[in-house]
Amino acid sequence: MRALSIAATGMQAQQTNVEVIANNLANMNTTGYKTQRAQFEDLLYQNVQQVGAQSSDSGSIVPSGIQLGAGVRTAAVYRVTSQGDLSQTSNPYDLAIQGPGWFRITQPDGTDAFTRSGNFALSPTGELVTQDGYVVAPGISVPQTATAVTVNSQGQVQATIPGQTAPQVLGQLELDRFPNEAGLSGQGSNLFLQTPSSGAPQAGVPGTAGYGTIQQGYLETSNVNPVEEITSMITAQRAYEMNSKVVTTADQMLQMTASMGQG
Amino acid sequence: MDNTLLVSVSQQIASYDSMDTIANNLANISTPGFKRDSTLFEEYLSQAKPSEDEKGQQNISFVYNAGTARDLSGGRIDQTNAPYDFAINGKGYFVVQTANGPRYTRDGHFTLDATGRLVTEEGDPVQGDGGNVTITPQDGNIFVAQDGTVTGQQGQLGKLQLVTFDNETALTKEGATLYSTTQTAQPTKAAQIKQGAIESSNVEPVVEISHMIEVMRAYQAVSNIMQSHDELKRQAVDKLSSTQN
Repeated sequence: MRALSIAATGMQAQQTNVEVIANNLANMNTTGYKTQRAQFEDLLYQNVQQVGAQSSDSGSIVPSGIQLGAGVRTAAVYRVTSQGDLSQTSNPYDLAIQGPGWFRITQPDGTDAFTRSGNFALSPTGELVTQDGYVVAPGISVPQTATAVTVNSQGQVQATIPGQTAPQVLGQLELDRFPNEAGLSGQGSNLFLQTPSSGAPQAGVPGTAGYGTIQQGYLETSNVNPVEEITSMITAQRAYEMNSKVVTTADQMLQMTASMGQG
Repeated sequence: MDNTLLVSVSQQIASYDSMDTIANNLANISTPGFKRDSTLFEEYLSQAKPSEDEKGQQNISFVYNAGTARDLSGGRIDQTNAPYDFAINGKGYFVVQTANGPRYTRDGHFTLDATGRLVTEEGDPVQGDGGNVTITPQDGNIFVAQDGTVTGQQGQLGKLQLVTFDNETALTKEGATLYSTTQTAQPTKAAQIKQGAIESSNVEPVVEISHMIEVMRAYQAVSNIMQSHDELKRQAVDKLSSTQN
């Protein structure tokens, strides 16, 4: 009886679903977190009687064949890359991206990672770094004498130095975008890596066509919608329950078979 | 074996098929665009010799699985707000170009690939009127109209194909929520596309669970018949053999 294994695929799928939802809820307050969703699809079918087969020599065609399904599988766990809300922090090194684009981070091994989480800080040497101490590309050094740092919406970083009338330009932050943002691979610590399915990053100046703008003193909150997550969790739990009910019923039927002839 | 047992076995095999179909429906309760199946049974008549006090040919009805019927009713439309999620309202299918030829689907969850083509989660391109639909980052947020016209910031990018068939129930399920067929796909205008939404599976848990209980009880009834039949035979052997002593 295949009902047992079919129901098992259903239970596994719902388990994945609950795990994804749990991760979303756990990251509800993670800066720049993008909510994930599990996508399911049906497994291959066994064609017991081919659709469109002839039922007689004179060409009568069966209206519907016999197709027995084999259950379900998780096709993908994808990220919903919609914009999160901006929350004000007043910290000069908190940068939020309003619109499309990713900050480029240079990892210690020299490779690039990308993030939407702009809660940056200064390193002991005055460089703009992430909370893990990785340098924000292309590298901005803030002089120790600076009294204020301004990042405008186009990503230009300026510092006010005592004794100088005009603010000193420290550098230009760039944003990267991808043909397929959903194809980036999450590395934890809010970092994402480029993959063959995301395509190559295209760097650009914030505020130009197709790139978002930068908001200083704000952070992008996660785009997790708790109401949505909780309702999907309830649905997932019930679906799990119903699949386990199939297992019980199939088991009862098998038990009846096994006990036959023991009169 | 005698006929009682044979007829009972035919019913039990049918019950197993029913159970498998219900299990598959329930397993796919969260599969977008999934259409539920139900098993159709037919009576198969077989002639038997008349027993005592009976005249003429006697019919024995066996049951067999005659086909899988697909419920084509629309599923609930769930709002997802994802730009590349599309729900079809009405009769129609999206066209997906796979390595094995065109396939059709009602699961409108798509994504982009590295070159910006609109693809399924399996990476197969969704077909517009002029072939693949490519969306570049320069196009910004796209808008898809009810008739499937895809518009970006740089103008029109294509029109999603929506097709229908003479006999929708004759489409073959291929897994991965795709259908294949030898019928010719005809463009349709009767269905509307809704962006930012997904058609959920049309499996109704209440229907499936009550169906499952029904199947289980029918199976139980037949097992009881088999058992009482077995008991009858045992008694017959007992009584007949004791008279001979």
